[in-house]
Amino acid sequence: MNLSDSDILELNELCHAVVDGTLDEKQKATLSQWLATSAEAREFYVRATGLSASLCHYAGEMQTGEPDAHLLPPPPAKAGYPWRWAIPFLAMAASIVLLLWVSRTREHHPAAPTARDVAVMPPSISQNTAAAARPLPTTNDNNEFVAQLTASRECEWANDATAIAMGAHLRKGQQVELAKGFAQITFDSGAQVVLQGPATLDLNSAWNATLTRGRLKAIVPPEAVGFCVSNPTVEVVDLGTEFTMFADPGGGAAEVLVLKGEVEAAPRAIPDQQPIVLRERESRRFAASGMSAIASGDQRFAELSRQVQLDHFISPTGYAHWSFDDIGGKAYLRVTASGISADSAPADMEILPRPALATAAAPGRHEGGLRFDGKLYAQAAFPGMSANRPHTVVFWAKVPKDSNLSNAYAMVAWGANSAKFGSHPFHISWNRHPGDGIVGALRTDYGRGFAVGSTPLRDGQWHHIAVVFMPTTVPDRPIEVRQYVDGRLEGEGKPSPPGSDIFMKSTNAYATSGTIWLGCRLGTKDIRAERFIGEMDELFIADRALQHPEIVRLMSANRL
Amino acid sequence: MDAGPQHNETESRKQLMTLMTRHQRQIFSYIYVLVPNRADAEDILQETSLVICEKFGEFKPGTDFVAWACQIAYWRVRYSRQKYARSKVLFDQDIVDVVAQTASAMSEELDQRHEALAHCLQRLHPRDRELLIARYEPGGSVDAAARRSGRTLQTAYKALGRLRKLLLDCVSTRLAGAGAG
Repeated sequence: MNLSDSDILELNELCHAVVDGTLDEKQKATLSQWLATSAEAREFYVRATGLSASLCHYAGEMQTGEPDAHLLPPPPAKAGYPWRWAIPFLAMAASIVLLLWVSRTREHHPAAPTARDVAVMPPSISQNTAAAARPLPTTNDNNEFVAQLTASRECEWANDATAIAMGAHLRKGQQVELAKGFAQITFDSGAQVVLQGPATLDLNSAWNATLTRGRLKAIVPPEAVGFCVSNPTVEVVDLGTEFTMFADPGGGAAEVLVLKGEVEAAPRAIPDQQPIVLRERESRRFAASGMSAIASGDQRFAELSRQVQLDHFISPTGYAHWSFDDIGGKAYLRVTASGISADSAPADMEILPRPALATAAAPGRHEGGLRFDGKLYAQAAFPGMSANRPHTVVFWAKVPKDSNLSNAYAMVAWGANSAKFGSHPFHISWNRHPGDGIVGALRTDYGRGFAVGSTPLRDGQWHHIAVVFMPTTVPDRPIEVRQYVDGRLEGEGKPSPPGSDIFMKSTNAYATSGTIWLGCRLGTKDIRAERFIGEMDELFIADRALQHPEIVRLMSANRL
Repeated sequence: MDAGPQHNETESRKQLMTLMTRHQRQIFSYIYVLVPNRADAEDILQETSLVICEKFGEFKPGTDFVAWACQIAYWRVRYSRQKYARSKVLFDQDIVDVVAQTASAMSEELDQRHEALAHCLQRLHPRDRELLIARYEPGGSVDAAARRSGRTLQTAYKALGRLRKLLLDCVSTRLAGAGAG
């Protein structure tokens, strides 16, 4: 039986009703009859619904980069799989594979997944998906901030050209040359070192430094375990401790004394030498000739135990705080603000839509919290948020174990303004793109880049989230981002791949007019239909880049 | 030297990931034809992916991965019938069975149609493309598409129906042309 024009017309209408979810019982009976009795009708139905499946696919890709990417994917250049467009769907299967792998990995690493866990992901996942999805361009890492000068005493720099101002942020690859006195450097990982001049320290990353000469004392909180200080003769990996290293000028030898906890010290001057673990009040000298005990060890420890009084750099902090303790059916949640000028002041948080109010209240991490059920979102005017200044966004979040990929965006979102690039949305969510990193890990999308962490958030547990935003003067990287999950630094910003121009100007002030949005995703014209599912509590937004100890204090004491 | 079980496991994972990467969309399309609701189809795809991971040891390399995966998807759809019992598009199992057979037989054509669709989308007016994106993006709906495009809901339904018909015809014409050429 061949389908007539009127048959096709009728089938068309029925298929539209199917994919739009408007099929009524009568239509269902008619379509069932068609499908049961006509092979041509079944083929038509498969083509029509297959078309909608493909549209889901293409529309997902158009959105994949970031909001409102209105460019269509080009047609495939040749026969074969245009898998670049398959990213939204790859996310689902790959996330399953990733989760299976992560759960298997965690059996061997009971502690929370770390950057090292990510590093041991199989190449089939970490490389295949990343390479298949989006190759990232290289970037000039020398511009990246990794630490800050946070305290000093009687400090003199080796020369004026390399002098560092108190409170200055220090870059990856920067060399600190201290002629005299003491300088405290707080790394973004949370590790703090007090350098005693004359000394030279190279900052390799937020997790790694090289002491070329002089003395340092390292204090490493639990969140920064794994911080490493090296020298030509030894590499010291901190296992949660306080230790001192003395480096001879010229790199011929170094001494390591452990004041608290333990370190793993790997001699470098002698090939095939196994690392040793040094515990509290143990010490070694590492030289080209080998390891040896340190003379007058007790006396040295006594000297090192004396505290040096430092002058700390204290920056005034303005902040807004929504505790969510006062929900109880109210449409507006009270904000507490401190140190913020009147023209930048935040407003109470409005819960929308109104019918969702009934289910908005949830037990929080500290008293009451806010529940996002897939419909609810919230907004608060906060003009200061859109300015091109440093900010830190801190909150508690709980994401259900079975949360769908479509409910990843966004825990917190806002529009930011840039004189050069116009307005653009920022999103703090969890990652749903396996090509960008672990699915379910904290993700921050910002102007021309994104950051993805390593701790899967979809476990039904509360996690402390802190994201630090710092504007830079680097043209192709106007913002730097640091993410902290449960106090641990994870996921520094990467540039976005070419073609996914997330740095689009917004033409509508509604989404970008200095408003904080919770539980929804922003487009350039309006909020999108996507909603976050989970719970949030204790949202703080500070008007500067908070240091790691401040973030940890917020986590433990819920106050700045 | 024997590479050992760990190496084999790594290779197996690599192979699984490659196959999933390559064929994910086809599996989704197959599921969507049987359960034409994006959220429901994605749920079943997730469940299917889990089963594929669990049963991957049973897959014989060199055989048709998509056919094997779609078999798993078919059983997940059957298993999920109770879950989707409230759906307006629920067909009786015998209807689902014949549609599933048709979809399997047309898998190659559906691939060709998918690629042809990209060309047809290029030819749409940007305003029409934006309407489709708003409707079909994750979390999208006819309601959202109507709001974003400034249309009434009824007009949006009609516009989407017209666009789907246009694209269906465009794809068919393109494939017919390719076949003739």
